Amino acid sequence: MVTEHAQEFETQDLLLNVGPQHPSTHGVFRMVLSVDGEVVRDVVPYIGYLHRGAEKLCETMDYRQGIGFMDRTEYLAAFNAELSYVMAVEALAELEVPERAQWIRMILCELNRLSSHFMFLGAFGIDVGVFATPFIYAWREREELIDLFEEVSGDRMMYAYFRPGGLAWDVPRNFKDRVRQVLKSARQGVADFNHLLTENEIFLARTRGVGAISAAEAIEWGMSGPSIRASGVPLDVRKDEPYLKYDQVDFDVIVGQNGDVYDRYYCRLMEMHESIKIVEQCLDKMPDSGPIMPEKMPRMLRTAPGEVYIRTEAPRGEYGIYLVSKGGNRPYRLKVRSACISNLQALKDMSVGQYVADAIIVLGSIDIVLSEVDR
Amino acid sequence: MAVTPAEEAVATTDAPEAPTTAPEIPSTVPAEEPIPVIIPGEHPNEAPRLVPVPHVPGKALYKQILPGVMQVPLDLVLAASRKSSLWPMTFGLACCAIEMIGTYMAHYDLDRFGIVPWPSPRQSDVMIVAGTVTKKMAPAVKLLYEQMPNPKWVISMGACATNGGPYTRYDRVLQGVDKIIPVDVYVPGCPPRPEALIDSFLALQEKIMEERKSTGR
Amino acid sequence: MTSDQTETAPAPDLSSTIWSEVDRALAGITARPEKAVLDLVVYIPRDEVIEGLRRLKKDEGLAFDYLRSLTAVDLEEEGMEVVYHLYSTTKRLNVTVKASLPNDDLTIDTATTVWKAANWLERETAEMFGIRFNGHPDPRTLLMPEDMTDTFPLRKSHPLAEIEVLQGEGMGYSEEGE
Repeated sequence: MVTEHAQEFETQDLLLNVGPQHPSTHGVFRMVLSVDGEVVRDVVPYIGYLHRGAEKLCETMDYRQGIGFMDRTEYLAAFNAELSYVMAVEALAELEVPERAQWIRMILCELNRLSSHFMFLGAFGIDVGVFATPFIYAWREREELIDLFEEVSGDRMMYAYFRPGGLAWDVPRNFKDRVRQVLKSARQGVADFNHLLTENEIFLARTRGVGAISAAEAIEWGMSGPSIRASGVPLDVRKDEPYLKYDQVDFDVIVGQNGDVYDRYYCRLMEMHESIKIVEQCLDKMPDSGPIMPEKMPRMLRTAPGEVYIRTEAPRGEYGIYLVSKGGNRPYRLKVRSACISNLQALKDMSVGQYVADAIIVLGSIDIVLSEVDR
Repeated sequence: MAVTPAEEAVATTDAPEAPTTAPEIPSTVPAEEPIPVIIPGEHPNEAPRLVPVPHVPGKALYKQILPGVMQVPLDLVLAASRKSSLWPMTFGLACCAIEMIGTYMAHYDLDRFGIVPWPSPRQSDVMIVAGTVTKKMAPAVKLLYEQMPNPKWVISMGACATNGGPYTRYDRVLQGVDKIIPVDVYVPGCPPRPEALIDSFLALQEKIMEERKSTGR
Repeated sequence: MTSDQTETAPAPDLSSTIWSEVDRALAGITARPEKAVLDLVVYIPRDEVIEGLRRLKKDEGLAFDYLRSLTAVDLEEEGMEVVYHLYSTTKRLNVTVKASLPNDDLTIDTATTVWKAANWLERETAEMFGIRFNGHPDPRTLLMPEDMTDTFPLRKSHPLAEIEVLQGEGMGYSEEGE
């Protein structure tokens, strides 16, 4: 509300630094908001505080050593990151992945999507103001999933379990029962979050109509994942260009309407339902025994010269690996197409004109992982 | 600690009398009635006074007054209280931050040690550097360290904060956070398990107890 | 169409790709196709590459409205290549466009006039390789510290850092600085 008297004042916008260290859990991201009163007029993001040179270092590692670096670029969805990389190497080396390995990879990637979305629900709750309650419940569900991952691969977060050609070792004998047990608890966790947040009046008032972006703008900025599906664009790599065995399972692509913060949250919540559905179908279709690596694996993996661009659907969007090889056992150029940096470019369009508190939850709803933005 | 009998102290003061050569100051009390003087021990509503304790010169008084209380040196009390409520500043940089958060959560509870994560550097004791410190982030790390008040400690969590970790060959990465700030405890691992982080806090507590005699920090 | 493009190498088998439609859209621009493992790769000279990208975006049958990725590859003596990966959300088609830059003149026009998504991707490519994008609206560094902008890490000539060796004969830097 601007009165005539207020127009006589000449005010200066305040520069507010949301610095690299801040109480939310997004990592080292800095943005400088220039606010007029409480309304944000301009957002300048500064990234690069976690730029660690994974692309350069992978050029000096051979194809098996590089798997650890891919884990660390996207630490919340490490199986998806490893999957892109090993699929790129397999495409160049023309390796055929056995059937059982593909089903196991699919199950683990979808469970990783579940655990990553649980982390999003927890961290997003902190931004919105529910503070610690969803965070602690989210971590209870995550601990169940991480225990399963530890039984399978040996590590809680940096698995290094996928290998070019298949898997490093076979899953334990009680894998299917354990997955069913974990799914039961995950289903309960998703229902809990649904009850807690989806029809909560305060949550709706906080997130409805905030940070909207239209479908055309989102395509122009190159967004992907739940952030663009919330705007109404049905872009999902699992349906458009199916990899692994996604064409043999039945699931829906969740598409929102307005593209605001609430739709992004709801898309992720519904995607968790779809992930549980996919894992159940995989458990039924997975063969109980079989090889997990092709028979004739060379001791040192060498690829033919060539280049390939493999894209998969990580929880945050389209995670692509562009691999150029000139023969030999190392990549010549490895480019990680990160979903988060493309989603983050649209931050300014989404936040300008909102209040400061809304700018924080817009950032939270894009669900960035800084090591993927900075690599 | 001189103990003078209460009666002697009071008896030395006289009853106030109106001065004869003072200038005329208007008094709030009517001049007809004399100001009452209270002599201790005579007022009906007065509470009983404390009787001074008899003391044996040469022995510490607090031992004679409060028998049965343990006497502890001050530095032990201070060190024990500092180690029992370490408040770390939430400073997660990279993947180790996720394991740090997992350690705070209900499964591997850190709150039972008195460790409460606190966002502000000016009110925290410990800084857990969890993750890779890049050269772009290094000035911010140093500034945050200097904003913490003494006494403060630093736990360097993970391989990246110890010496650069897997990214040590890249020249935009600081090869270890101990190049810019002093570190007390190093935790190896990539990322270290929550049990390892709990172990590092226990080691830091032992270090605080061992160092309690040193002053100036 | 395929036999016209070969000189001495055997003709790449482009029958399963969309080369015919791409060639029609890029009429008048010299374009050389190749087949990578999955997609079609089109080499366009750098003076015409922005016009070619714009035509690919506006074409009715192809409609490449989504810029997936923009990066560069350092081929040491042959110069550098700027690589664009394009995707069509409506038709579900993929194509890769490459432009070669000689080593002594690493400049190219910006693609932000075609897609907004090229903004940060070009900033990152510029600071990693030292390529200058003419007409970029915001040519600041993205990921580098502000005081380390004169070296370009992803070039092949850029060395890795040396590690301190704090044990052994003496404290110093390790011999092999590869």
